Amino acid sequence: MPSVKKSPKVADVLIIGAGASGSIAAKHLAENGFDVVCLEQGGKVDNSEFWGDKPEWELMSQKRWHPNPNVRDLENDYPVDTSDSDVNPLMYNAVGGSTILFAAHWQRFMPSDFRVKTLDGVADDWPITYEDLLPFYEEVDIEMGVSGLGGDPAYPPGKDFPLPPLPIGKIGMKAAEGMNKLGWHWWPGPNAIPSKPYDGRNQCVRRGACLTGCPDRAKASMDHTHWPKALAAGATLITGARVREITVNDEGLASGAIYIDRNGREREQKANVVIMCANGIGTPRLLQLSNTGRDSGGLANSSGLVGKNLMMHPYAAVSGKFDEPLESWLGPAGQTIHSMQWYETDASRGFVRGAKWNVMPSGGPLGMRAAYGGKALEDSWGENLHRNTKKVFGRSFEWGIIAEDLPDETNTVTIDPNLTDSDGIPAPKLTYKNSENTERLIDFHLERAKEAMAAAGAIEMSATRLMRDCGWHLMGTARMGNDPKTSVVNQYGQSHDVPNLYIYDGSVFVTSSGFNPTGTITAIALRSVKNLIANRRNQKVAA
Amino acid sequence: MAAKIDDKGREAFAAFADLLIPAHKKMPSASSVGVAGPLLDEVLRLRPDLQEDFMRGLEAITGEKAGAAANALYKDDEAAFNAMSLVASAAYYMTPQAREALGYPGQESLTYDAHAVPDYMVDGMIERVTRRGAIYKSTPR
Repeated sequence: MPSVKKSPKVADVLIIGAGASGSIAAKHLAENGFDVVCLEQGGKVDNSEFWGDKPEWELMSQKRWHPNPNVRDLENDYPVDTSDSDVNPLMYNAVGGSTILFAAHWQRFMPSDFRVKTLDGVADDWPITYEDLLPFYEEVDIEMGVSGLGGDPAYPPGKDFPLPPLPIGKIGMKAAEGMNKLGWHWWPGPNAIPSKPYDGRNQCVRRGACLTGCPDRAKASMDHTHWPKALAAGATLITGARVREITVNDEGLASGAIYIDRNGREREQKANVVIMCANGIGTPRLLQLSNTGRDSGGLANSSGLVGKNLMMHPYAAVSGKFDEPLESWLGPAGQTIHSMQWYETDASRGFVRGAKWNVMPSGGPLGMRAAYGGKALEDSWGENLHRNTKKVFGRSFEWGIIAEDLPDETNTVTIDPNLTDSDGIPAPKLTYKNSENTERLIDFHLERAKEAMAAAGAIEMSATRLMRDCGWHLMGTARMGNDPKTSVVNQYGQSHDVPNLYIYDGSVFVTSSGFNPTGTITAIALRSVKNLIANRRNQKVAA
Repeated sequence: MAAKIDDKGREAFAAFADLLIPAHKKMPSASSVGVAGPLLDEVLRLRPDLQEDFMRGLEAITGEKAGAAANALYKDDEAAFNAMSLVASAAYYMTPQAREALGYPGQESLTYDAHAVPDYMVDGMIERVTRRGAIYKSTPR
């Protein structure tokens, strides 16, 4: 083991991870005079590296820019044991984190999401309400440059989005027509994708390649929205820095982190405050690896809940084919419209909670062909390849269903006894199974989505009950709450056990909602970091 | 470094690719748009992860009749078949000839006026949604 080289610098705040929550923290802390250091295991990505504007796009999407780290298999990724998981986790490790590859659906939770125990008698209420978070939702909308249409009756009234909605295209109109026939809710989907030039980024050109990185420098990934400002304000960003342990002093306070640089050297970064922003898998992994000897389950884990209650949003879909051209490769991708018709609980359905639906484009012909896998050779290839492609390509869209999965202590992130990353640091293992409530919820929503497709005029349709590669949303593994016995952090992300250790990422979610979580992750991070800034003089720090 | 493929190998791959992607109505065949030419080398250079399975499959089908060889590969070595079929179809759909015949311009770039009033705002579509009223449950007090 090489010796640990110590940096002489003691940061005011050390942030682990330069993704959605870490970027928010870094910008606001640096702009308020804090000496900030951020350790990011990945590197910087340049928009010219993306393939969305080139013929090779689909070929490269299936490997180099695949969202599953086990498929991508890059040095800056860590492997994840998914042998006991119904769902594969998706993420990207770089400056900007998973926003590099996310679809930028910019959703708020609904008021009921914060009160599921009170309303539905399941899981737990959050220690905050929708109203507590609303001002921060509105502020991050401006920081990100969200395009959308105000007045959505699925939400309480609030400020309009900073940018007009993106075009919903032929697929959005077709889907909306079906929903209106049924009298069901739909609305142009809000996206963190600018419909006009915004804050140094370009107008979205509807390339439809958001999920493999935006080559047009339009999509609101944090490397563009926040890091230039954070660096200009003096933040230090160290890339290729793979953290293996959060260090703790004799008083039990966090004192920094040990990381491995890309030359294989171990280094130590000291800090007065540490903020974990490594996502719902990376954060519990690191806390469990930071075993102080006092807590058998790792750091900040007197509740025993670090790594438990993993939620990943099972994703189901109904795809419909139409007898007219719909230009269904056009973006945004991104969502064109969304629906919360079946979001709130109705106990008569036999399950609680619900799902958000979204319409997205269906991409190019190679990706469509991948859906034919598993059929007989002659059914998938030969003249049938052309017939199938002609019938479907450009003439189909999908209603995607984001199912709310409730917290369950048996769904976990633990440390794998055998698997390691390229630096020899133990890798995480997921144990994740759908509950009976989730299964019933998915069955119900699939049937409703088929009705929506039929109403829109689909001539054929197919349903996917569970897309295995769907675990974009990593939540719940270090939940917030008022009681240290039943939660890991308080409502501001502060560890109950270690008062100068904070968690700002999706780990702190009490429940998952049925929404894409990045809008809520960033709003919570903003609320938390503003509280830290406001209370800086009272913050206990490592001496 | 992409593996070197000789003329016999290219001939075998062209026959394999045409079996999977033959000419049909307006659509050209795989070999006619050059999937066994320099495009093959380019695809394998971009996706080195496919090379091992691809080359094993190519070795298995070279010198054999395309139909029987493809069926045998499909049955006996799924990984090799998948690598070869992905290379063939990816290369095919990258070509301007196949895209034009399919009516696919690629992931194109479009301009639009973000302030133009969308049809759904004036034809009553969105009004029907708003008229139905709020659908959320308020925070319980």
